[in-house]
Parts: sequence; structure tokens; C-alpha cells
Amino acid sequence: MAVEMASRSQVLVEEKSGVRILTLNRPKQLNALSFQMISRLLQLCLAYEEDPSVKLVILKGLGRAFCAGGDVAAVVRDIKQGNWRLGANYFSDEYILNYVMATYSKPQVSILNGIVMGGGAGVSVHGRFRIATENTVFAMPETALGLFPDIGASYFLSRLPGFFGEYVGLTGARLDGAEMLTCGLATHFVPSKRLTALEADLCRVGSSDPTFASTILDAYTQKPRLKQQSAYRRLDVIDRCFSRRTVEEIISALEREATQEADGWISATILSLKKASPASLKISLRSIREGRLQGVGQCLIREYRMVCHVLKGEISKDFVEGCRAILVDKDKNPKWEPRRLEDMKDSMVEKYFTRVEEEGEWEDLKLPARKNLPAIAISKL
Amino acid sequence: MRKLLDGHNLVDRDWIYGLMTQSNLFNRKERGGKIFVSPDYNQTMEQQREITMKRIWYLLENGVFKGWLTESGPEAELRKLALLEVCGIYDHSVSIKVGVHFFLWGNAVKFFGTKRHHEKWLKNTEDYVVKGCFAMTELGHGSNVRGIETVTTYDPTSEEFVISTPCESAQKYWIGGAANHATHTIVFSQLHINGTNQGVHAFIAQIRDQDGNVCPNIRIADCGHKIGLNGVDNGRIWFDNLRIPRENLLNAVADVSSDGKYVSAIKDPDQRFGAFMAPLTSGRVTIASSAIYSAKVGLATAIRYSLSRRAFSVTANGPEVLLLDYPSHQRRLLPLLAKTYAMSFAANELKMIYVKRTPETNKAIHVVSSGFKSVLTWHNMRTLQECREAVGGQGIKTENLVGQLKGEFDVQTTFEGDNNVLMQQVSKALFAEYVSCKKRNKPFKGLGLEHMNSSRPVLPTQLTSSTLRCSQFQTNVFCLRERDLLEQFTSEVAQLQGRGESREISFLQSHQLAEDLGKAFTEKAILQTILDAEAKLPAGSVKDVLGLVRSMYTLISLEEDPSLLRYGYLSRENVGDVRREVSKLCGELRPHALALVTSFGIPDSFLSPIAFNWVEANAWSSV
Repeated sequence: MAVEMASRSQVLVEEKSGVRILTLNRPKQLNALSFQMISRLLQLCLAYEEDPSVKLVILKGLGRAFCAGGDVAAVVRDIKQGNWRLGANYFSDEYILNYVMATYSKPQVSILNGIVMGGGAGVSVHGRFRIATENTVFAMPETALGLFPDIGASYFLSRLPGFFGEYVGLTGARLDGAEMLTCGLATHFVPSKRLTALEADLCRVGSSDPTFASTILDAYTQKPRLKQQSAYRRLDVIDRCFSRRTVEEIISALEREATQEADGWISATILSLKKASPASLKISLRSIREGRLQGVGQCLIREYRMVCHVLKGEISKDFVEGCRAILVDKDKNPKWEPRRLEDMKDSMVEKYFTRVEEEGEWEDLKLPARKNLPAIAISKL
Repeated sequence: MRKLLDGHNLVDRDWIYGLMTQSNLFNRKERGGKIFVSPDYNQTMEQQREITMKRIWYLLENGVFKGWLTESGPEAELRKLALLEVCGIYDHSVSIKVGVHFFLWGNAVKFFGTKRHHEKWLKNTEDYVVKGCFAMTELGHGSNVRGIETVTTYDPTSEEFVISTPCESAQKYWIGGAANHATHTIVFSQLHINGTNQGVHAFIAQIRDQDGNVCPNIRIADCGHKIGLNGVDNGRIWFDNLRIPRENLLNAVADVSSDGKYVSAIKDPDQRFGAFMAPLTSGRVTIASSAIYSAKVGLATAIRYSLSRRAFSVTANGPEVLLLDYPSHQRRLLPLLAKTYAMSFAANELKMIYVKRTPETNKAIHVVSSGFKSVLTWHNMRTLQECREAVGGQGIKTENLVGQLKGEFDVQTTFEGDNNVLMQQVSKALFAEYVSCKKRNKPFKGLGLEHMNSSRPVLPTQLTSSTLRCSQFQTNVFCLRERDLLEQFTSEVAQLQGRGESREISFLQSHQLAEDLGKAFTEKAILQTILDAEAKLPAGSVKDVLGLVRSMYTLISLEEDPSLLRYGYLSRENVGDVRREVSKLCGELRPHALALVTSFGIPDSFLSPIAFNWVEANAWSSV
């Protein structure tokens, strides 16, 4: 009963005629997704899909964040207690939620008025409408943590223009609202002071046909200019460098560019790559490249295999070490193993993409069957 | 299954697929909510040639061609082959331009040339500092390389070779890259030294300067618009006493000293020519493989289409039936799918034996590659036509690829050796092997003929379903057919020779048996590759499905071959059993059809829009 209460309070629900407004309510943890929040969101989404009186779902966060990510600290505690499977359950539930949102037959509007990172992107980018504001800060910071951009990021990052997806996924670069809109991660941009009015207008939607919500959003949306130093203005360099076959070649290409022009952005990019976990970089690159050629369901199945190998820690223990250095001890000085990119061999990378051989039973992620959906229901950028 | 089929370098393939989908150079377009990349065949010939080169520069800048000539060994070669295959899946023109530059020009320098040529040319080729082409074919001579008429003499005073085109039929023709871009070429020519024709040799000649102007004493004309491959600038070349330095003779097999003496380690001119031509096997290997990928694109499209398109009801007021639920539609596509699978394993096996080649295996590789190149390219043309018909009117739209690919890939049945000529080489090689083993009273070894050392297989008179699907039975039939045809062929040739005909004329007159034999040999070799792949699999669903595919390959090959009845290997009843079994297999493969084509590993964006939501792709909102 107490757990029920907890999950119910971590996700607030409001009903306004045909619209359901879900608010992530863990502001002290920047709305990081707990296991209970994920279960609750999944339960609600599936119920709303069956309920004909529900036409539209709005998702937002309380406080200054939309959602800063998944509750990885809890997962690391499970690993340390020898319980990697508990962590795996967390991720499998999270990925199923991501899949349901990506294949949802009703429009979901996520209001990204603040930090949206990692798992926060998972519960928003797959939805049909993503509203950025001047407060939005997006990132996929997993490679600094010894993880990899999961939650179906291999699907949506790979579909960003050129090789921007590799850039965002490998460097953990932060994007603001204007950048999210320009590259397609966000569908609309609305100044935060107009959000209340927007929500009120959305609540008058009487049909699950997305054109109604789209018309309302189009009336509110603006086209803010990209900031002068935006990475998105450097797409030519990004495409030249992040198209390379391997991580090592990406870094060499960036270093060659740096010799041609002294540029703070290039140096910062190289630095973030050199500080990230070598194992993470290599599996992330391959994940994004494979994801480019796969549907969202296949991407999540593949990512689930990868995350299980990360949790098991047999090839590398960087996830535990990354969380220690960044989240727990906060010394920001992780000791990666393997330490250098060259030591992360192709055969080691390959292991992350295979099924998990376990004495107990391990199964590939089982996605729920979804009804035959029209093309519009499938998330696209 | 994708791993099995692609065989090697999956990550490299995915990288190139990604490079192409993310760039603006590959004609990216959206249809029905999905992204597709395929060349715009509606562009003019000039535009297509230009964009093809731009695409190659893009791949070059991304380091795709690194090490293609400067690295050696099976791993490096397999990687090259994989990357070339992906280029071909996107556009045959791209892979031909790349293939001519690296595999024809580049490999000629590498394998016909010696150290001085490697040092001067290989790195520059890899970096596209020079753009190479390959002037072998002439207006009057294609398959018969030894008959070419370009003549080269040697001038000892200036230590130069002089190349000339003595008559119009000697003009070089179909030289890919020559019309617009190439700066250098390999020239094949008869070499006359001191009045003696030493046979065909290869030279390097520059045909354009770095600014793109044609060099003196060379004339170049365009071959003009083609039924396909208009991204390749094929040219015609005349040499007007062009002088090249003595060092430009590619001298791995033979040389000319500075005072004009011809020297060669191989005394016999036939053997010399054979050694000379051995490196050209790579062409047959890449063509065989790319033909099967083209068939895969066609089948993936046609089968996916047939799983969403409906036509006619079979009950009053009932829903229209899915195309692939019709037995006749299954019969049109599923056997071709099975053959494509079997041939895919054959192409992979050919690549493997090629990259691991030794001088001892060269002869066998020559025979097998000739057979595979012919059978696989013919299969592709047949498959594309059937797929075009199977998707109905949509196949007429260029953008839907299936029909367009026919024109793009047709040349594969002709270049690198006309298929009919190559198949004759197969039968001649088998003849020579047979005669030689019988004369020396030695057991058969090599070319898969070992089964001839055992007793003649006896086929059961009753053919049940399980017999027909049994791999031992299938092997026995193929062995029996090959053995019997080889014996008949050699016997008929011997008879004709006995009546005073020359061996060559006897071959020509026995051409029908020769054709049957060549086909039997090749089909058996293909069967062996899919059996080997199946045997390596652990028990499970993949192995089971592959077994069904293998049986379908075998039985459809038998059903389509008149030899079985003509020479009495099977009775009329048996042939009926085979036919019925094929129909049964169609029904059993039907549920696996989508998985089987998905396992080709070709990304959705490289297929046709009709393979997906073709209604959405044609909606008014997209006009």
C-alpha cells in the first residue's frame, strides 16, 4: 500500500475532459525516474490507450527539470549487492515504456521546460510532440558514466541530420531548446510564460487525431535563432569527423580540424571524447550505426542486450566506476578499464551485442504486441 | 541468418550503409514516412556520371578505400569485397567505377607489375591521385582476348614502346572511366619484338593530364548512352603510335631488355597467357557476388510487396487474397528465393577460396568462378524479370527499382567473359580432367569430381517426400547427373574425333552436352556450399529453415532441368513427385518468407518504397 502511494505520488495525474496531464513529481531528484514511476507511467499509458474518453496525454515535470534521467544510482546499488538482474528488470521495464510511447496510437505532448537527459529523453522524444522552451537543456551523457545512450536513443539519434547523432551520443553534448527544434529532437518551441495558456488550449482537444493538437501547437510555436556558438552551426565539421569508421578515426579527424583552426568548440569536443569511457564510446558508436538501419523495437531489443552486459560487468566495470566518480564520490576522475581506446578490442565490443548466456534463464526483451498502427503513430523526426 | 548470408564484415557494411543514408549526395527522399536512398535515374547521362564521381569522392574522403591496394591478405581483401558489395547494392555504376579503378587498373598494377610499378602507382591509385581504367576489350574482340589487334613494338634507340591501333576494329571499346575522367590506363596489346608476335601483354599509358586534357597521340570518343549504367563513362580509345617508356611494361611474367630482347620465365605461350590472366579472376568473383545482391533487392521488394498487396477474392464477399497466399505466386517467387539463398552461399565460398588462393588452386578457381559467374548472373536477370512482373505496374516505375535494375545489371552476363563462353570453359576443363585421369589411370582429385571414384549412385525408384528432402539423395542425383553427362560428353567428342574431326570442332558439335554438363557441374558445386553452411549450424530453427531452403533449391533445379528425363535419371513418375514436392515446399516456406528476405540484411532505405507502405507512399499529401 505504501509503495502504491509512493508511485502514485511520484506521478501526479490530472484529468481535464479528454486530456490527461501527467506530472513527474520528484523535484528534489530532478524527477529522475524511479522504478515506481516507470511502472506507473506504463500502467497509465496502456490504460489511456484503451480508454476511448482519453484523446491526448500531456507529460511534464515539476520544478526546474523535466526529467534528469533514470535512477542509475539505485541500479548501481543492486549491482554492488550482486544483483545485476534487478537492474536489468529496471531497464527492461523502462525500455518497454519507451516502446509503448514510440508506438502509441494517441498523441503525447511532452513539455520539456527544463533538464531533459537520458531516461528523460526516453519518455518524451519517442512521443509525437516535444515542446522545448528557453529553459530546455538536453543531453545524452551516458558515455561519461560508463553506460551508453540507451532508451531507444540508437533509433532517434541515428536519424538526426548527417552525423549529428554520433556527435550528441558520443560527446554527451548539451543542446538548448533552439538546437533541439532545429535538429528535430523537439517538434515545437514555446516560451515558458505561454505554457499555461498552451496547456489550457490543448485541454480542449476533443479527438485523438493528431492534427488537432498539431494546429494548436503550430499557433504557439516560435522559431528561435540558434546561438552563435551552437554546435549545430558546425555541422560540416561534425559530418566530416563523426562519419569516420572508428572512434579513433573520429578523434584523429577532429584533431586534424583543430590544427586548421584554433577553436574552443573543437577542443572541447575532443576533450569530452578523451574523458569518456573508451568501452562506452565504442559500443555507443556501433549501437548508433546499427540503430540507423533498424526499427525502434529492434533498437530496444539490442540495447537491452547491451545494458545487460554492462550490468554484468564481465567485459568492463566502467558503469560502476563512472557512477562512483560522477554521482557518488563526485571526484569526476573515473579510472576506466580498459583505459585506452586501443585496448577495447573489436572482439570485446562484439560481446555486448550478443545474447546473454546465463545459468538461470535470460531472455531477449519481450516487447508487447501492438496493434497495426498507421505510419503516423510511429515516432519520427 | 543475416550473419550467415553476408558472411563477413557486417560492421563495415553497416558503416557504409550509414554513410550513404546520412549524406545529401545519395538522392535521399521520403516516401510514406520512410527514408529511401537510390540514384535518380531520370538525370541525364552527364549528370549521372558527375554525381557518381562525387559519390566516390565522398567515400574516398571518409577513408572507405584506405588500404585497398597497399594492404594484403585475406582479411583486407574480404573487407574490400564487402565495401564494394554495399556500393553495388546502392548503385551498380558506383561499384563499376570503383571496381574498374581498384580491381582492374589497381590489381593489374599490383599483380602484373613489379616493385617499380607498385612504388610509383599503388598509393597514388588508392588516393585517387591518378584515375585508372582498363583498356582490354576492342570493337572486334571481347571474350577472345588473345585475338586483340592493338599492336605494340619496341624502339631500342629511345627505349620506348610504341602502341598503335592498326585498324578500326582494333579501337578499344567499352573502357569504363575513359570517356571523361581517367588519367591512366592499362593497355592490352600484341607485343611484336624483332618481328615475332610474343602475344598479349599489358602496358601503362597516360591518357589525360592532370587538367583533364587528352594526351597527344591518343584519341578518345564516347560510347554513348546505354540501357543502364549511365553513371559509368565508357569510352573508346585509339592509339596513334603512342610512345611510352620501357618501364611501363607490366613485367611480372615477361620483360623486354633495354636492347630489345624478349625474356620470360614461362616458355610456353599458352601457359604464359594463363599466368597472365589469373589475376582477372577477381572480376568474376565480385560480379557473381553483386549479381546475387541485386537479386536479393528484387526479391526483398517483390516478396514484401506480395505480403501487403491483395487481389481478387476466392469466396463471395470474402476479402481479397494476399498475393503471396496464391500458390501460383508462391511458385513464382519462392523457388527463386531458395536459389538466391543457395547462390549466396556459393558466392561467399567463392570469395573465401579466392582470398586464400595459392598458385595450386588457381586452376580450380578459374573453373568454379567461370561457372558461378555465369549461373549467378543469369539467375539475377531471370529473378529481376520475375520480380518485375510479380509487382505488376509498380515495377514499371523507375523509382521502384525492380524494373530499372534489369537494365543496370544486364551487362553482367556479358562482361568479364560472355557467359556462354565461360560455361564452355567449364566443360572443356572437366573434359581435360577426365581424359587426363583416365589416361594416367589415376583417381579423380579436385574440381569436386572425387565422387567419380566411387561406384555410380543408384537412385530409388520410389521417391517419397522424406527421400526427396534427404541431403544424401539430393547429392546423389546431382553427382549422377554430372557423372553421366561428363561420360557422355567425353564419349561423344571421342567419337567425333574418331571420325576425323579436330578436337575443337568436336567440342563445337557437342555443344549441347557441353552446356548441360557445365550447368550440372555448377549446380552441384552450389549445392555443396549450402550443404556445408547447413552442416555447420547447431540444431534449431535456423538450421531447419535452411534445410527447407536447400531442398527447394535442389528440387526446383531438378524440376527445371530436362536432362533428368532426357537421359533417364528419373522416371516420369519421379519427375511428377519432384514437382509435387516443390509445391509442398512452397507452402512450407511461405510463413518464413518475410524473415528470409529480412535476413538479407539490406536496410529498408535501400529497397523500393513498394516494399513498405506503398499506399502512404503514393498518397495525395505526398504529391
